[in-house]
This record gives sequence, structure tokens and C-alpha cells, in this order.
Amino acid sequence: MDVASVKVGSAMDAVNKVSEVVENDYVKKWKESGGKVLGYACVTTPPEIIDAAGILPYRIRALGNPNTEIADAHLARFNCSFCRSCLQLGLDGTYDFLDGFIETNGCDHLRGMFENWMYVKPADFFHYVKVPHLTTEDAMNYYVEELVFFKEAIEKHFGVEITDDKLKAAIARQEAIRDRLRQIYSMREGSSPSFTGAEALSLFLLASAVPYDDFIELADKAIAERTGTGVTGYRARLMLCGAATDELDLVRAIEDVGALVVTDALCYGARAFWSPVSTEGDLVKSLADTYLKDMLCPRMYEDFPRRRDFVLNEIKKADVDGVMVMHNKFCDVHGVDNVQLRLDLEKRDIPVLQLEKEYGSRADIGRIRTRVQAFLERIGGKS
Amino acid sequence: MPYAGIDVGSLTAQAVLIEDGRTLMLKTIGVRLLSKSIRVKPNPLDSARTVMGQLLEEYDLGWDDITYCVSTGYGRDKVQGEGMAQDNVSEISCHGLGAFTLAPQVRTVIDIGGQDAKVIRVDERGDLVNFVMNDKCAAGTGRFLEVMSRTLGVSFEDLGGVALRARNKVELSSRCSIFAETEVLHYLQKGYDVADLAAGTCRSMADRVMALVRRVGWEKEVMMTGGVAKNVAVKSELERTLGVRMFAPHLDPQLMGAYGAAVFAQRAGGAL
Repeated sequence: MDVASVKVGSAMDAVNKVSEVVENDYVKKWKESGGKVLGYACVTTPPEIIDAAGILPYRIRALGNPNTEIADAHLARFNCSFCRSCLQLGLDGTYDFLDGFIETNGCDHLRGMFENWMYVKPADFFHYVKVPHLTTEDAMNYYVEELVFFKEAIEKHFGVEITDDKLKAAIARQEAIRDRLRQIYSMREGSSPSFTGAEALSLFLLASAVPYDDFIELADKAIAERTGTGVTGYRARLMLCGAATDELDLVRAIEDVGALVVTDALCYGARAFWSPVSTEGDLVKSLADTYLKDMLCPRMYEDFPRRRDFVLNEIKKADVDGVMVMHNKFCDVHGVDNVQLRLDLEKRDIPVLQLEKEYGSRADIGRIRTRVQAFLERIGGKS
Repeated sequence: MPYAGIDVGSLTAQAVLIEDGRTLMLKTIGVRLLSKSIRVKPNPLDSARTVMGQLLEEYDLGWDDITYCVSTGYGRDKVQGEGMAQDNVSEISCHGLGAFTLAPQVRTVIDIGGQDAKVIRVDERGDLVNFVMNDKCAAGTGRFLEVMSRTLGVSFEDLGGVALRARNKVELSSRCSIFAETEVLHYLQKGYDVADLAAGTCRSMADRVMALVRRVGWEKEVMMTGGVAKNVAVKSELERTLGVRMFAPHLDPQLMGAYGAAVFAQRAGGAL
């Protein structure tokens, strides 16, 4: 792929620099000025509630960390390697800047990660949001109640009151963040994509790792810098689907062999920002609608048709040539969902490359490159 | 003026020169390590330089005589990056096109190499239609047979022949290389016959590969390539399960990647 046509400037370089470290300079500055930071991992956690309390919501990531030796003493080798990599960083001190965590039952591996983390290194604040697997009226009422408990737990522990006005302002801030991400994704979907897939992931990671003002400033600069530019010379336009991944190196490796990732349906990606939060009526109910009813995650077993339709719509919107569905070894929910997705896409003559991989395993990159290159040769010609 | 293909794989490196659609010259160098040795990582550029250099020298040719060269295998981009090839193509496409060129009826290629196994579907032009590759696991690859032949005290090359002498093939319960080795050791200690265990090993290997075949589907015109294609027992187990007689390439199956790369070079150079 010829990226020479893309203007390489300071804004995107600055974004990459921040996104490639866990405790970035913006977080350090926030902490130095007395700010609190709460970590969460699951896409069912509304950061608005944390933000409304004046606390920085930080989405836990492992950034491709391949080491799990401390974590392996607590989580078995047959647990998801993404969760083990995050736990490793929790236990080796990388996440010591966090003032607490919000756990969900997104999946059992994730719960294992949080609970072992708390067991070994208890935090001052730890709250478990129990998220239903259905979106029936009862389930939605249950989830609304859970979000109220979550709000009250933060209020009680940090001695703040989260008023409706504060929550409304936080929703507006998070909506502005999501809006930038929607803009960035839209700029990839056209005939002349302005961001590579790795750059879009980098911007996504930035959005949940720095304070609001800093993100808006950096994102707006990156958007301005890339407006009117386009990546050329790629062999095929790919969509990424599947399990949680924040591996910048993996997306770079995929693009290095000539693919351009133009869209995705990833947990650390498109699933987190397309659905807006309404500020009409009951605010907590609005959050529940966005974070559970509209959520796209295979943990909601019955919801497969909606997930598939989202993928089909993105394929059309972003003029996708082929789809890569990936999951980390031992990720049961995506392991099952990906097979169904592959079969459904193949039925519609959409080329699919299905990969099972070890999270953060650099040793596997060569094999992944071979498969991606062959996939491109299949769908996009030999060169 | 010949077209060239260089395949630098995980265990061996091969070079092929072809002219006018026929195989002209072949050369393979073994960087295969004996099972008793410590594995080292050979520099793919050295492997490419050596294997192609020897081949050219043998036929009194120079690098400049090559019209177009395509590299493949794990070292493919490095070889191209050093200017030894004009393009690089994945070994998946190369095995597909190589097998198809030798037998145009072929639509399914089972390639089992040292560290991976692939099932490749090609169309009536030899172009890739679909493929599947094993996950990161040694079971179902040449490495599995290497480990097991060492445990059985049989040479890697003889394992297939020994397996064909089996009278009571032992069913191995484990699909993992490590655990299968432990299982075989247990049987050896109990006095089981080496041939029966060798047959069980080859059956286990074929089962593993069949899982890949089933995943991507197959048409009955099948060719087996890669080093493991030389193992007669694995080949016959696969033929029995598939219910077909596989096409036998008129070429060392281990050379198929380099041969396919040379055919790609011919296509790129406009000769095909």
C-alpha cells in the first residue's frame, strides 16, 4: 500500500504517541492535578456516569502486550489471552494510576480478570454492574436499576452528587467524543479513505484514555489534517469483525501486506459509538437503551440477526471487498458467533477470512500475514 | 530466458527455473535440521541466495539471466526486498497454481509442510477460490510426524513405509503433539509394535488434516503437496477417507511452492 499520498503530519503522530502507552502524559497530568481515574473494559459500561462525577473514565487495554507470566498464576492458560494480558498489566503495576474499577459480566473471562485483579491488588473502589443477556422489558428495567446502583456507588464513595444536569453535560461530552469517532469512521468509508485502519484504532483508543478537552483538540487536528487526503495503492478494502482487540501491531501487519481496513464491527471500535444517547426523558433509561438495547455483542445470543445486519450494512456503506472475522483463542462467545457470521456472509458470496489467534502473539504475525496475503490474492488480484 | 521461483520456508528452501511452461531446472537445499539438533533460524536471504546461486551455477547462468522472479514462503517479502525477486506471492496461491499447472484437473490441494497445513481450492485457471490453514498448533503438520518418528525410533522418511506394515493399527486418542508423544511412549513401554503405532500416528495426522478439508470443502480432483505428501501412509489414509485417488505430481511435492512461484513469474512476465 502506498501511504505516501497521505499527508503525514504532527496531529496523527501525536495521537499515535499517546495511544501506544497505557499511562499517557494526559492521564499523568490529570492525576497530578488531583483528578481521579476509573477503569472499565466492557462496552456495556456507560462512561457518562463516571464522567458526570468529574472522574476520568479509562477503558482498560493491553496494547498487544504478549507477556502473561504473573497473570497465568491466577487465570488458566485456557482463558482469553486478551484478559490475561490486561490482568498482567494490572498486576505488574502498569495500571497503578487507576482509583478503581467497574466490572461487568460481559463474559466470564472478563469477570475472572477483574476479580483476580481485585483479589491480588484490591482497589479502593470496585463496583460490579450486572448486565442482562436479554432486552425484554424486565431485563431493561433490571439494567436501569443496575445503572442507578452504579451511579449511587460512585456518589457514595467519591462524595459527589451526580445531578441530572451533570449527567446531561456528561452525555453531551461523550456524544461529542462519539461524534468525532463517527466522523473519522465516515472519512474511511468513502472511495478515498483518509485514515488507515491502524490510525482509526489509534484514534479510538485515544478517545477512552485522555480527558475530554484533550481528545477533542487532538481529534479535530487529525480530522483537519486528513480532510481531502486519501490512502491509495491498496489491494483490497477489508472489514474487521470479532473479539475484543486493541492490537495496533496486528492491524498494521494486516495493512502492511496491502489491505486497507475501512471499517469494523469490533468492541474496541464501531460497536462503541454509532448509537447516540438521547437526552430526552429519563437519562439513565436513555443510557440503558444505548448501552444494552442498541449494543452489538455476541454475549446477547438472540441478537445475531441485528449484528449480521450491521455487518452487511457496513459492507455496503464502506464498499468492502472482504471480511476478516477474528477471535482470540478460548473466546467462546466470538468463537461461536464468528462461525455463524462467516456462514451467513459466504451464503451472500462475501469473501471471509476466519482467524483464531493468540492475543498479542508476535510469533503468530508471520502466519497471519500469510493468510491475509493469500486472502488478498483471492479477492484482490496478485498485486 | 528462464522464469524463477524461490520458496524459503520454515525448514527448507527451494528454487525452480522454468522456461516455455516446462520445468527446466530444480534445486533444493536442505536446511532441515535433524531431530537431534537444536533448531536455529537461518537467515532467509542467505537461504535464497544459496539455493538460487547453486542452481544458477549448475546451469552456468547468472542472476541477470532470470527474466522475472517471484518469491514465496515465510521469507518471501525479505527476498523481494533484497531485489532477488520482482514480486512475492503467498505460498497458498503458489501451491494452488503449481499443482494446477501440473494437473489442470486439480481443484483441491492439500499442502502439509513443516509447520503448517493448508487446504487450497482453485478454479479452472488455477486461481485461489478459498483456503484454510491450521491454527497455531504443531498437530497436523510435518513437525508432528518428526516428533513422533523420533519417539518411535524410525527415520522421518521411513515412517510412512513402516506404517504400511501395520497389522493392528493403534488408535491414538490425543490430537496434541505433546500428549500424543506421551501416549505413544506409554504404548511402547507396554510392548506395542512400532509399525502399529506408526500407522496410528499417520491416521491421527490424516484426521487432523481432514478437519481442515471438511471446513473448506473439496472437489474430488485432489493433489497433495508439501513434504508430508511423501509419506505414503498419510496419503493413503487421506485417500481412504476422501474416497478418491489423489493426483500424483510429476515433481517432488516439496518443490510445489517454488514451482508455483515460477509459474506466477511466467504470468507476470507475460509468457502465459
